[in-house]
Amino acid sequence: MGDFLHSFFDIHQILHVLPTLLGEGLRNTLIIASLSLLLGLTAGLLLSMLLIATRWWLRAPARIYVDIFRGLPAIVTVSIIGIGLPSADIRPFGESPMGYAILAIGLINAAYIAEIFRSGIQSVPVGQMEAGRSLGMSHLTTLMLIVVPQGIRNVLPALANQFIIAVKESSLVYLLGLAVGERELYFIAQQAQAVSYNSSSFVAAGLVYIAFTVPLTHLVNRFDRRMREGKRPTVADEPVGKEPLTPVGAGMEAGA
Amino acid sequence: MEQTAIDDAKPRQRGGDRPVEPAVELLDICKSFGKVDVLKGVSATVVPGETVCLIGASGSGKSTLLRCINLLSPPTSGTIRVHGQVITAPKVDLNAVRSRIGMVFQHFNLFPHKSALDNITVALRRVRRMSRQEAEERALAQLEKVGLRSLASSRPGSLSGGQQQRVAIARSLAMEPDIMLFDEATSALDPELVKGVLDVMRDLATSSGMTMVVVTHEMNFAREVSDRVLFMDSGVIAEEGPARQLLADPQTPRLRSFLSQVL
Ligand SMILES: Nc1ncnc2c1ncn2[C@@H]1O[C@H](COP(=O)(O)OP(=O)(O)OP(=O)(O)O)[C@@H](O)[C@H]1O
Ligand SMILES: [Mg+2]
Repeated sequence: MGDFLHSFFDIHQILHVLPTLLGEGLRNTLIIASLSLLLGLTAGLLLSMLLIATRWWLRAPARIYVDIFRGLPAIVTVSIIGIGLPSADIRPFGESPMGYAILAIGLINAAYIAEIFRSGIQSVPVGQMEAGRSLGMSHLTTLMLIVVPQGIRNVLPALANQFIIAVKESSLVYLLGLAVGERELYFIAQQAQAVSYNSSSFVAAGLVYIAFTVPLTHLVNRFDRRMREGKRPTVADEPVGKEPLTPVGAGMEAGA
Repeated sequence: MEQTAIDDAKPRQRGGDRPVEPAVELLDICKSFGKVDVLKGVSATVVPGETVCLIGASGSGKSTLLRCINLLSPPTSGTIRVHGQVITAPKVDLNAVRSRIGMVFQHFNLFPHKSALDNITVALRRVRRMSRQEAEERALAQLEKVGLRSLASSRPGSLSGGQQQRVAIARSLAMEPDIMLFDEATSALDPELVKGVLDVMRDLATSSGMTMVVVTHEMNFAREVSDRVLFMDSGVIAEEGPARQLLADPQTPRLRSFLSQVL
């Protein structure tokens, strides 16, 4: 029992590594997570527009992208981009692995976020598109001003969730090896463990992840509940008439 | 510009001795969804300033016909002319056509994330290219007309069904359309809220001389407000005539049995 406590909860080891975790590690973890989320949001929104397009040749490439990046284990994607690109002499971010990590995790995020946006946009009743079109607004204008804003509102909790996932996935950068100063939580813990042969540094890193992700999860859940309860259903929220709930992009016959 | 077009039309309304250019002309409209033929050759004419009610059993194709008129659901075949322009021709600017035809939906279809005012201004700004101030002034004036100016900043979710429908009507009217289409505008409302909406529609038909095509189950409205009634049955117009006459003295057995169910 004493061994167990010593291996995982050695207080000296934890206190030793904690300042670096909080100072350097947490900052870099959040940088990787935020920037990759930003990339994911931008690319994901674009991809979601393509996913709901009426024309198959717009839909197909987006669908293939999403399937590939959701189908690959994150560690494979990070390796292909972070190790593969530089060794093939493609070095858009120079030698530092940070940029490659953000790109890789951002591209993965984009695939998931595209699906989140797509389902959000498609959950908006077709009547909204029809109302916009009947006022003479174009398909694109109605999509951007009427449908997408409502769709995004529907999926805010899912997006926040994606941020939590990005925080955890940022740990995969350790694969690429990081210089002092750009190390994130997991890498610091791993280096400390390699020196001390004591797993308490992993536990310390875990505690920092948890201290961040668990409150965030609960905040998201609370926000989600508030949105559901606060938003009283109105008749206008129901899908219109007998029309099946077709994708908004393909929903109305009157394209053009 | 369009205002003058409407003003020009007014003195010639309702069967003056000069021939009137129809506001809407439907020629042999057919519409199928896959293998299902919903409209099977509908021809009808609506003259400027006229209010025409479309009645008929559920599934007879009333909504489908209405949605053909502004090409929300384009006909499979047939020709539609709006003020002389063939809008079923290829290369027609659909958005321009639709912006001159207002449509009011059974479930209002207000934009829930926008205030009543913004529901109205969005198309004024995007389609009519008005400045914010111009658009807001016009929107407020329209809300005033439907008695909801004080609720301009409310979201649809906090309005009653009747208020929402009046905002939706104001939203369409703000575009200064030549023609207004109503698809069971009061069917989703609690009984006590129906009158407020019908009053707005009645006023529009009688005082403003708007050209209106109204799908409705309100037979009193059809009788008192409309000039003509078209009875639809299985995708065709089975009977038509002046409102009072048609409702008081139906000629076909189908209309007789329909009226006996709804009256
Ligand atoms: N988008 C669609 N796809 C397939 N079938 C449709 C579609 N829209 C309407 N229909 C069918 O067309 C027929 C006529 O529908 P429509 O909505 O025009 O009837 P309606 O006269 O308006 O009826 P109600 O009084 O119930 O509103 C129905 O059988 C309906 O199922
Ligand atoms: Mg209908």
